[in-house]
Amino acid sequence: MNDALDNLLRDRRVWRAVKTADDSTSPGLASGLDTGLATGYPKLDRQLPGGGWPRQALTEILLEHYGTGELKLLMPALARLGHAADAVDDNPAEAGWIAWIAPPFQPYPPALLQWGIDLSRMLIVHPRQGSETLWAAEQALSSGNCAAVLLWPESLDHTTSRRLQLAAVKGRSRAFAFRPLKALLQPSAATLRLRLSAGDPGTDIGILKSRGGRPVVVRDYAE
Amino acid sequence: MPGPDKLPASVQGAAAAPTTPATEPVRAVNAGASAAAGAVTSVLPRAVPQQQALAFPVPAPVQELPRRARRPGRLWLSVYLPALPLDALQPRKPGARKPEPGAACAVFDEQQGMRRIVLANRIARREGVIPGLSVNAALALLPKLCLLSRNPASEERALLSLAAWAERFTSVVSLEPPDVLLLEIAGSVSLFGGRDSLRQTIEAGLREQAFTVSTALAPVPLAAIWLARSGSGICVTDTERLNGALSPLRLDCLQWPASVCESLQGMGIHCIGDCLRLPREGFARRFGAARLLQLDRALGRLPDPRVSYRSAERFCRDYELPEEQGDRELLLQASRLLLQELEQFLLTRQTAVQQLRFSFFHLKGAATHLTLGCLHPQRAAGHWFELLEMKFERLALPAPVIAIRLRGGRVQALQMASANLPFQSSGRGQQGSSIAPLLERLAARIGDGFVHGVTAVAEHRPQYAWSTVQPISQTMQQTMRQRGGERIPQCAAVPTPWDAADAAPQLAGMRRTGSLLLRRPLWMLAEPLALACERNMPHYQGPLRLKEGPERIESGWWDDNGIARDYFVAVNAHGVHLWIYRNVHDDADWYLHGIFG
Repeated sequence: MNDALDNLLRDRRVWRAVKTADDSTSPGLASGLDTGLATGYPKLDRQLPGGGWPRQALTEILLEHYGTGELKLLMPALARLGHAADAVDDNPAEAGWIAWIAPPFQPYPPALLQWGIDLSRMLIVHPRQGSETLWAAEQALSSGNCAAVLLWPESLDHTTSRRLQLAAVKGRSRAFAFRPLKALLQPSAATLRLRLSAGDPGTDIGILKSRGGRPVVVRDYAE
Repeated sequence: MPGPDKLPASVQGAAAAPTTPATEPVRAVNAGASAAAGAVTSVLPRAVPQQQALAFPVPAPVQELPRRARRPGRLWLSVYLPALPLDALQPRKPGARKPEPGAACAVFDEQQGMRRIVLANRIARREGVIPGLSVNAALALLPKLCLLSRNPASEERALLSLAAWAERFTSVVSLEPPDVLLLEIAGSVSLFGGRDSLRQTIEAGLREQAFTVSTALAPVPLAAIWLARSGSGICVTDTERLNGALSPLRLDCLQWPASVCESLQGMGIHCIGDCLRLPREGFARRFGAARLLQLDRALGRLPDPRVSYRSAERFCRDYELPEEQGDRELLLQASRLLLQELEQFLLTRQTAVQQLRFSFFHLKGAATHLTLGCLHPQRAAGHWFELLEMKFERLALPAPVIAIRLRGGRVQALQMASANLPFQSSGRGQQGSSIAPLLERLAARIGDGFVHGVTAVAEHRPQYAWSTVQPISQTMQQTMRQRGGERIPQCAAVPTPWDAADAAPQLAGMRRTGSLLLRRPLWMLAEPLALACERNMPHYQGPLRLKEGPERIESGWWDDNGIARDYFVAVNAHGVHLWIYRNVHDDADWYLHGIFG
């Protein structure tokens, strides 16, 4: 394609309505920050801009009940993060710690092992107050040690989500915030917002907001 | 009793075998000398005693004398602090000099109800405030005089801290309370660019700490002390020349009791040289054998062993506030000073600590304690201060604080890691230990028990198949595994991990075949939750449908927590997969144990 056009499209100020991994015509766009971390579910990857979880960004996952498949959704990606560096783009920075901040239940190590999570790089934090959850998440994100930070905040307003987003950029990390479905109407600075809901069969994912993508519903993502 | 004329002419002469029989005082000299000499046997240069009760105790063969002369010489640097009572009371902050140079200061103490000036600084002296003056008279002379009460404890502390500081120059530092330090520097001279250079370095260092000093060098400690007190700054390196150097010194350098000095002066004796000319026996009888012994030691005729100072292994320092203080910001700043002192303390020893304890003392009531901990031994004041700030924020102080004490934990060798150069890629995957600062911050703010890692345990009972661990120990375990290539043994209850890269296809395959492998939930409840039942079926957010199972887990009969359960995978109306069980022997009740997530 035309070089000038390529350069123009690479400019971040140019907003593109659709930018998915399928966009094979312009390989330049699918590099660097724009490449996502593969979710491990090809059906979902195809719908996410960059072909996976966005880098250095906050992802919000909205769900009505715990256990709708929210952890299963992340497990393959987390397994790759914690494990050998060569698994992901020869980038050693990808291998790092996974912080769980204020999880509602106890993450169960035998099951995590089944998914291939490196337990020795897992960090679980149980803050005693809601404000500490966000503080701890920000610390973990900006420390540069954590490849991913999973958090279950009591509340997350627009300013806070923006802070988490910036912290993720600073620490080259990524944050996943799990929030109740009623947060749907609140504004958020998250790069990606998903809604999980039980489908028949499996779990459906609604992509509510994605930078460079468009809203879509993925039925039974694990298929 | 023999007359004085039969005794040797001088004290020095006494070394050459006095001929008279022993008298009581001289025997006392002997006893003292042999006690002080300890194990040293060949110490006497010239005495060839013929009788048991001669002036010197040890029968020293003549042929051994040259060997002693060849022994590597010792060189003592004595540091005399003439203004210690005043200097010790100056507020000492790192980098800060004396408060205002123009203020007249004096230290007083109270003797028999009279408050008298002990020491005054130069400005006060110029106005006529001299030691011995009563406080009222001093105030009359100089109304603006800043009067400080003498504090022997702080003088002792200052001397100890100087001894610790002086350890950087030599390993042999000896305290000579109340106001002298002795440094044996013969071995250090070549390391510090010569004798004069070393002496200047030490003097400059002391002046920088706002101490008035006077130093002297001598091969014998006592001579060095006397020379330093005289303020002449003389440097003697040869024992032979001690006699000449000490002789002109005035008697007040000896710090003998005033009565002794007065009676000596009454006899027309004003300097050490005069004393040395006195007959030994008479001198010992009149002024005590101990004084004769001192003279002998100062001249190097008798050994003078010194106890060498050993600085404390652990750090413990107090910061006393001038008044009760409730301002938290101020307390924090005082604590920062203590931490900086700690850093200096550790730096000189090349060590670090893993734990610190601050104690905030109140005038009434018990002290408030604050303990800080690090994952790795640390010494940087900045690092500790960051942790302190976080913990101090939530520390409740019941009353204003009058003093702060900082105690360091056991010192450990500091392990330094080299930092990456800017152009080297900083792989966070390679440095497991770099997580430590984050963990410390989290633990400091949230609490130690609330930040942890997890590990799987080889155990069939689900509730015991995992445990919490310290995240760092896990990392170490992992590096060990990487090095040795050995795996932590696991039993069947903890399945082997998959290859991460192709989790999804394996998962799909397992879903197709209905493999049992995945029947472990990602979420575990802390305690099993009893489920409501309707028509013999469990309910959780709606009626449950059993999907898979049962999987019987029956184990632990050997301890009191044995279980015999049938586990099922159930689905509720919202599509949430649950891990529920019922007891084998009592199958009416259902319990929720995990959520598949």
